[in-house]
Amino acid sequence: MIPWIKTIGLLCVLSGFSVVAQGEEGEHSGHDEAHGSAEALPETIDFNEHIRPIFNSHCVACHGGVKQAGDLSFVYRDKVLPPDGWVVEPGEPDDSIVMERITTDDESVVMPPAEHGPPLPEHEVQLIRRWIEQGAKWGEHWAYEKPQRPSVPDVADVDWCRQAIDRFILAKLEEEGIAPAEDEVPTRWLRRVSLDLIGLPPTPSEVAAFESAIETQQEHAYEEAVDRLLNRPEFGERWASVWLDQIRYADSKGLGLDAPRKAWKYRDWVIDAFNRDMPYDEFTVRQIAGDLLPNPTIEDYIATAAQRLTQSNEEGGTDDEEFRIEAILDRVNTTWQVWQGVTFGCVQCHSHPYDPFEHDEYYKFAAFFNNTADSDLDEDWPVLKVPVDSAHYDQAAKLDSQIRPLQRNIWSQEYELLSDETRWKPLTDLEASTNKATRVDVETVGDHDEFHTVGTVARNTDITLRSPLPDSIDSLTAIRFTGMPLDPEKAISDSEWGFVLSHVDAKLIPADGGEPTSIEFADVISDEPDPFHDPNGSLNEKSNHGFAAYTRIHYPRSAAFLLKEPLDVSEGSQIEFTIKHRVYMLSAFSLVTRRGYLAVSSDPEFHGLLNDESLQVQRKELAELKSRRNKIESTTVPILAERESHLARPSHVFIRGLFLTKDKQVQPDTPQSFPPLSAGDQPPRLALARWLVSDENPLTARVAVNRVWAQLFGIGLVATEEDFGSSGEAPSHPQLLDDLALRFKDTHQWKFKPLIRELVLSRTYRQSSVVRDDLMDVDPANRLFARGPRHRLDAETVRDQALAISGLLSDEMHGPPVHPPIPDGVWTPFAAWDKWNTAKVDDGDRYRRSLYTYTKRSIPFPMFAAFDAPSREFCTPRRLRSNTPVQALMTLNDQTFAECASAFAAHMRTLADEPSEQIRLGFVRATCREPSADELDELVGLHQQLGELETGDPLSMVANVLLNLDEVLMK
Amino acid sequence: MSHQETQLQLGRRSFLSQAGFNFGALAAGAMLGDELAASELKSSLPHFAPKAKRVIFLTQSGGPSQIELFDHKPELPKLAGTELPDSVRQGQRLTGMTKNQKQLILPAITKFNRHGECGRLVGEWLPHIGSISDDLCFVKSMVTDEINHAPAMTKFLTGHQLPGRPSFGAWASYGLGSMNSNLPDYVVLISKMKRPSDQPLYDHYWGSGFLPSKHQGVKLRSAKDPVLYLNDPDGFPRELRREMLDGLAGMNRLHHTETLDPEIETRIAQYEMAFRMQTSIPDLTDLSDESDETFEMYGPDSRRPGSYAANCILARRLAERDVRFIQLFHPDWDHHSRLSSWCVSRCVDTDQPSAALVKDLKQRGLLDDTLIIWGGEFGRGVAGQGKWDSPEAGRDHHPRCFTIWMAGAGIKPGTSYGQTDDFSYNVVENPVHVRDLHATALHVLGIDHERFTHRYQGLDFKLTGVEPSKVVDDILA
Repeated sequence: MIPWIKTIGLLCVLSGFSVVAQGEEGEHSGHDEAHGSAEALPETIDFNEHIRPIFNSHCVACHGGVKQAGDLSFVYRDKVLPPDGWVVEPGEPDDSIVMERITTDDESVVMPPAEHGPPLPEHEVQLIRRWIEQGAKWGEHWAYEKPQRPSVPDVADVDWCRQAIDRFILAKLEEEGIAPAEDEVPTRWLRRVSLDLIGLPPTPSEVAAFESAIETQQEHAYEEAVDRLLNRPEFGERWASVWLDQIRYADSKGLGLDAPRKAWKYRDWVIDAFNRDMPYDEFTVRQIAGDLLPNPTIEDYIATAAQRLTQSNEEGGTDDEEFRIEAILDRVNTTWQVWQGVTFGCVQCHSHPYDPFEHDEYYKFAAFFNNTADSDLDEDWPVLKVPVDSAHYDQAAKLDSQIRPLQRNIWSQEYELLSDETRWKPLTDLEASTNKATRVDVETVGDHDEFHTVGTVARNTDITLRSPLPDSIDSLTAIRFTGMPLDPEKAISDSEWGFVLSHVDAKLIPADGGEPTSIEFADVISDEPDPFHDPNGSLNEKSNHGFAAYTRIHYPRSAAFLLKEPLDVSEGSQIEFTIKHRVYMLSAFSLVTRRGYLAVSSDPEFHGLLNDESLQVQRKELAELKSRRNKIESTTVPILAERESHLARPSHVFIRGLFLTKDKQVQPDTPQSFPPLSAGDQPPRLALARWLVSDENPLTARVAVNRVWAQLFGIGLVATEEDFGSSGEAPSHPQLLDDLALRFKDTHQWKFKPLIRELVLSRTYRQSSVVRDDLMDVDPANRLFARGPRHRLDAETVRDQALAISGLLSDEMHGPPVHPPIPDGVWTPFAAWDKWNTAKVDDGDRYRRSLYTYTKRSIPFPMFAAFDAPSREFCTPRRLRSNTPVQALMTLNDQTFAECASAFAAHMRTLADEPSEQIRLGFVRATCREPSADELDELVGLHQQLGELETGDPLSMVANVLLNLDEVLMK
Repeated sequence: MSHQETQLQLGRRSFLSQAGFNFGALAAGAMLGDELAASELKSSLPHFAPKAKRVIFLTQSGGPSQIELFDHKPELPKLAGTELPDSVRQGQRLTGMTKNQKQLILPAITKFNRHGECGRLVGEWLPHIGSISDDLCFVKSMVTDEINHAPAMTKFLTGHQLPGRPSFGAWASYGLGSMNSNLPDYVVLISKMKRPSDQPLYDHYWGSGFLPSKHQGVKLRSAKDPVLYLNDPDGFPRELRREMLDGLAGMNRLHHTETLDPEIETRIAQYEMAFRMQTSIPDLTDLSDESDETFEMYGPDSRRPGSYAANCILARRLAERDVRFIQLFHPDWDHHSRLSSWCVSRCVDTDQPSAALVKDLKQRGLLDDTLIIWGGEFGRGVAGQGKWDSPEAGRDHHPRCFTIWMAGAGIKPGTSYGQTDDFSYNVVENPVHVRDLHATALHVLGIDHERFTHRYQGLDFKLTGVEPSKVVDDILA
């Protein structure tokens, strides 16, 4: 193999360079043999079609996004063309440096250099020459330009077409001289569309009803069948599965113990969203920024769990901040992957090798997500209490909408006093001591004395602070404690472990050294409106929690401890303030205050806070509302919530993608090569959500319709569903893709049901799926859609269908995840308390639809894993379809499949008396068609042979055969 | 679809119909649909003549102590109980468990013995491995970046610290395919410990990541089903299975005449393979035909099903059956305390069987085309954890140096590679990163790691990742 491929690898080009290069090379040597260099040049050179592939395969390894040798990059227009670029003179190939460098014989200047690869083939040199001659017109990659409404193509056989899409498909087939396939047998079409729309096969009575409807209503029967399926509740279950792969839904946290995570309300929300045909723009905005919408509903919050499905880590000794950042970066990558079909992940470490995304832009985008309150906590905070019964959502939302402003209003009044420096007298002459090996020193900083720890801190450290009260004070109404990072400046960008004031104890020591008086506190007010733990916990002996920076600290954090009654102080008195720390993370990281100082106040306003009538009324109302809210039976779901602006984390570029090496600070923004973000005064994350579904965004609608297309036809119009970028595959029918995208957005108002309806009612979809011998050469993968789709069913559908055919399937929807039978020895979680309690035979949960099965990332359900379902650690844009012996063992021997076979046989016995008739009807039920005479002979013969062996139940074995038929496992 | 792919598909079709669903057809049949995209790359494999055609990876999970076992540091006893100099530690991260304690030097709590013609020094707890030093190559300068088990093991086995990438075995299966018609390409054996293990072994350690699921490791269990779903369920007797599968194949063939889909032929072949596995795997795991001498050679534990020793015998049987990648896992090398007793227990579990496996393969001529790797995800630190001079003392994780050994095809026997400093703390000569180990092992299999890629989400991934990595030529025979 040519040596430059190795070099490219070393240059850390992640992309498909080497493979592409091999293909290119092979092709060109082929050309040389067959045609020499005499291949005709196209009349008009198209940059994307003819020139970009040359740059991508020969140039961008050194002059691309990652490496821009000589400040030259063939990814960016302005680096190539004037006025800033210097290698191409439009219209003047002979004056263009690029021509000189690719044609020269001088080994010291030729491009690519000999050690990186052979010179460009003559044909490619000529293409570049002609491109420059024609003015060197640059074209952005197609996917980054807005879709344009195409004119509907003319076709010869107009009558063949039923839907708009058929014209596009047929036009291309006619161009290739290929006739479309015959229509599928109606009942087989019904099976196909049922599996596609609801993930279940039609029942024999549905099949019969459809057959008679065709007799009477012809074409209308198809429409009715589709409308009926679209309205079935199972529609949402089937299409939720597709989305849950994208959004990496799981019922566990992922790393470390991979402990359970309660998120099933989000899964149910997705099901309902599909059933209600929630427009995709709404669906999007809610999942990216539902919490920032005006008056968010319970469901707006639930939707934000989409971002909280990132993995989190509870392993001992791990750094919460490291995994918080991992989660943020995963949100960036997933958002790009799911909504834009672009691999943004590589921009984490360097500019994109092919696509116009610069390294900094990754972190600008990450900044949209970097200021949410979640921080890899074991508790999964913040979470929302979600009523178990969705009928209570409105009631809960109403209460929440009263609780939130009230709580905030009370807090604002408190915070105003807390943060008003004029009301506080800082303390000096501080003495600090501890009860453990932890060392503390004191230094004077500005107008106050600060303590700080030195060296390592011991677990459960108490720090006692003693200081004379200022002479100007004759009474005491509040003490303010400020806890800080050890290195306050650095911590803003590199946060430190925080602190928890488990308990606070204060004494007033009289000037004469007499008996100290205990100071009684009535309330703690803090700088956060809705902290994870109630700051008043610091006053409660029984609780280890209280005022805290939990678990990380970026900024100084303050709380005021309000005295029950103002205390008169005489001159020369001292206070002693002891903070007790009892919380540590997994033995390793003690949440001990590393630095801090005190201030005191004699301002009567603080005492006023306790007695203010209006405040008292509000507090009482708040308590009442909260108590009513607590009475609604609820589960929880992790949600997004924005941190207070005064506690906002700054965002930085990470050098080479490592969070420990931070570069310049950045503000939230979208990449320059995309339409600009119009933020206005919206919160940035909400602006981002709306940007994704704005008319200007070139990708969102295309990626969405392509995903739907791929689900129905087995392969996307863009086959690389995960990559619409310039290293992905070009669309097979670009105009159709644009037409669908625009109509999805405009005509269908972002609704999936009408889109799916028109696709499945198309003539293209109706075609027979029989593999065409005549097309094996030209179109083995059916990219031209000259026949109907035929491919193996998804993992969930394989299992759900077996349950449905056998009559075992439970139709219960929604709810906590379920535990169907799992083979012995598979469920071996690290934590013994993490149980798999298999639903008993008489429990419907044993036979629920597959998407309700408990999804533990580290222990995938064996049946799903074998049938290529992803383990949901990260976004999976597209599933593979493998065909393995383990799958065969599974559908032959798995407990659930065995139970299905037995139940199916029992059902067949109820249908007829004669075994041959039982088998015929069973076959019809499994396949939605009558068996041929040969097929029936084969099955009846098998039944007889099995019976002669006089062991086991022959009809169950036949049922097992039926459930394992290729025809049943395939669409 | 490229011209070559079409060719391949056509070739595959005609081959299938001629070969009557034999295994060759199956292997080719696997290249359908999504996998077609990769066929071009795979057809060029191996890149050059391989030295080994299979790998046995003896994974010692938890981080065996190189200080007690392999990396002899005669000067350390003089420094016992003194603080590890900052000049040596150089800010190395510690886990939460010892970051707040003083780093006091704990010299090896074992003696080292000299072995073989090569005169290799090996800790006295590993007499059998010591005795075959002339066949082994010790790499004392292994380096990783991770300090906690799961990320480190994930990196050791998949090249990346987060789950989601294909494991080494899956890459091997993907790149080189199968040599056996009755067994999976990649088989995983996990030791059944006498007491509950305190370390999780995650499925992603042998997962296929974004490669097709057929490349994931198949776990052979010591349960009654050595492979999931191998046993016929209750009420579905084995005697009927043959008839039933014939009936199923008959039905599927009839359907094939209707739909003409070549995928059906693959499915028929896969069902046949499944049926053969129902026989071949019990045949594999049934050790009753092994001689008493064999059991003696592998040690007393080898008669306990599921033990590391029994798994070593199984590893040889898998090698005999030409399984491509065989991986054993032995957990509980994580000796934060009671090193002096617990580490000895792990050595007793693994020493004799590991050595026996090398000897056994050698006497059967299988060592010539088998690569053996023995090692864990990281090493252990020179400082004592807990009170350094008590019998309770242990060692914390240490990523900056550790020792593994390799043997067999392509590897220079009787050698040692790389050097650490006097504290077994930093590598001072010839560091071998985990990535370099991957590059080297792939090289032995005839694969250039730079050219062995799989495209996923628009990127070409490789086992060795994007950081520079190198083949360690000096240890190659």
